[in-house]
Amino acid sequence: MDAAVSTVSDDRDLRAEVEQLLFLEARLADESRYEEWLALMTDDVRYWVPSGPADYDPDTRISFVNDNRNRLETRVRQLLTGVRYAQTPPSPMRRVISNLEIESTDDDGTITVGSNFVLYELSAQATNELRIWAGRATHRIRRVDGELRIAAKTVELVNATQALPTLAFLL
Amino acid sequence: MRPIIGTEPTGQITSELRADDLMQPGRVNGLAYTDPAVFEAELERIFTGGWVFVGHESEVPAAGDFVTRRLGLDPVIMVRDRGGDVHVMANRCSHRGVTLCQHASGNTGSFACIFHGWTYGLDGALRGVPQPGGMCSDRETLGLNRPGQVASYRGFVFANASGDAGSLDEHLGPGGIELLDWACDLSPVGELQISAGWLGQRVSSNWKMWAESDLDGYHLGRLHASLWRVVPGSQYEAAVLAGENVVTATTRDRGRGHVELEFWRGYDRQLAWLGVERGQVADYCEALIARHGSDRAEELLWQGPPHALIFPNLFLGEMNLAIIDPLAPDLTVHHHTPLLLGGVSPEFNRRVLRQSEAAMGPAGFLLPDDATAAERMQIAFGHSGGWMDLSRGMDREQVDARGDRIGHVSDEVTTRGFWRHWAELMATS
Repeated sequence: MDAAVSTVSDDRDLRAEVEQLLFLEARLADESRYEEWLALMTDDVRYWVPSGPADYDPDTRISFVNDNRNRLETRVRQLLTGVRYAQTPPSPMRRVISNLEIESTDDDGTITVGSNFVLYELSAQATNELRIWAGRATHRIRRVDGELRIAAKTVELVNATQALPTLAFLL
Repeated sequence: MRPIIGTEPTGQITSELRADDLMQPGRVNGLAYTDPAVFEAELERIFTGGWVFVGHESEVPAAGDFVTRRLGLDPVIMVRDRGGDVHVMANRCSHRGVTLCQHASGNTGSFACIFHGWTYGLDGALRGVPQPGGMCSDRETLGLNRPGQVASYRGFVFANASGDAGSLDEHLGPGGIELLDWACDLSPVGELQISAGWLGQRVSSNWKMWAESDLDGYHLGRLHASLWRVVPGSQYEAAVLAGENVVTATTRDRGRGHVELEFWRGYDRQLAWLGVERGQVADYCEALIARHGSDRAEELLWQGPPHALIFPNLFLGEMNLAIIDPLAPDLTVHHHTPLLLGGVSPEFNRRVLRQSEAAMGPAGFLLPDDATAAERMQIAFGHSGGWMDLSRGMDREQVDARGDRIGHVSDEVTTRGFWRHWAELMATS
């Protein structure tokens, strides 16, 4: 009985901690705070935006984004130049994250978390259209030096099989 | 008079606009991008009246494999039948006009309409009609509609809806043929393997801005400065970025609207285009020598792939293919796929795939900036248009022994070559 109560309480604590991480990540992305966003990622992070459901081999089929840490750092450094015209000025954005589910926990403590998002983006570089992006993110999260960090983020857009407008910001 | 963009731009493009309203020596008016009547005329004279690229045969390797595309605005299916032949036919039921394929690609045994169930074979013949007793038309005449002409070269499938565009050979000309051969020659077995799927980039601009910016050697240093700052050492540094009086790369107008940037003439090393040293792809180099002999193989290892437009909609974008898909005067999809090669290692093609993801598409390191510039062009021309200056390098362009116009890599030789052919097709009286 005591053990069960303790587990529920631990789960609640973990869920709250995961939520705080994802909310922080979302706010940093919304506000184009690229370096702080990158600091939430592990050294072996993988950031993947597949061209459909994430059930294919990305070594044989093309993806919108398939970044390892090195390429993700390059992406961020490009944004930081100030002359990445597709994000100059940065798009004002706000996203809502919901339907969060802790899907599994590996033996090494890595947690898999699914969540839905809706993102409103003002395409401020040219057309000034309000663009809506939606999908499901799957995060792989593990503890590094006591802090939860993101080891993988896969974003399955609902329109991933379709032609997309400029996606030069961080999803 | 100085050399002009159009040959003699005097014909009628729309009932309102004459060619010389849109084109004058060294300049083109933005109305050519914004006027709906110009777009309508382009659909008729270029995208249904002329040859356009549809797809590559290696996209549909097995019987029943299909992809969906457009000829202008008209949806088509490219499919391989059980006998191995590749067909291009309307994605439109001959009964009441419902699209048959909803997906971009797939495999099927037949095409069945969701509305009343008419069913077509992989060759487009009408096979099945529910409740056939009431059928009054001859089913032999009700196969899927086909473009007037379909032809392929080295696996590149082209179609012409009208059927009176002359031969594909005439359309490609020696310049176009050479470009397609060149792309295929990079494979040690002479075959492309277009199998990684396509990404689409949706842009609120006219289609012609893509034919131009894909072949513009002048903008790289400015518009794409953010990339060179964070990825130093690319092949473009020596070829384009080193400065106007230093670079030796050139631009070439091969005629018939097929235009090219010859970055390779400015490269400073072999295999710069692949970003590797020779030792990393020793097997590839050996296989290329075995196929082509040492001279041609060494030349290919230096040159890499072509960077060229096959008029009007196929971009041979180095290790990418792209299709320019016009949807409206101010709406275009730029599709791309990596130029994977037959006869190379999985690691080789994986490198090509990763490079394609880095450069191209809506999240690539290059093309989003081109999209932003194109969208701002479209906005800038508003309702009234306005002149663009395309005279750069007119005074220093030369005609070589083959009759190609050539110039400095930053010169607008390619853009003028594109518009010159556009004017020939559009300014019919």
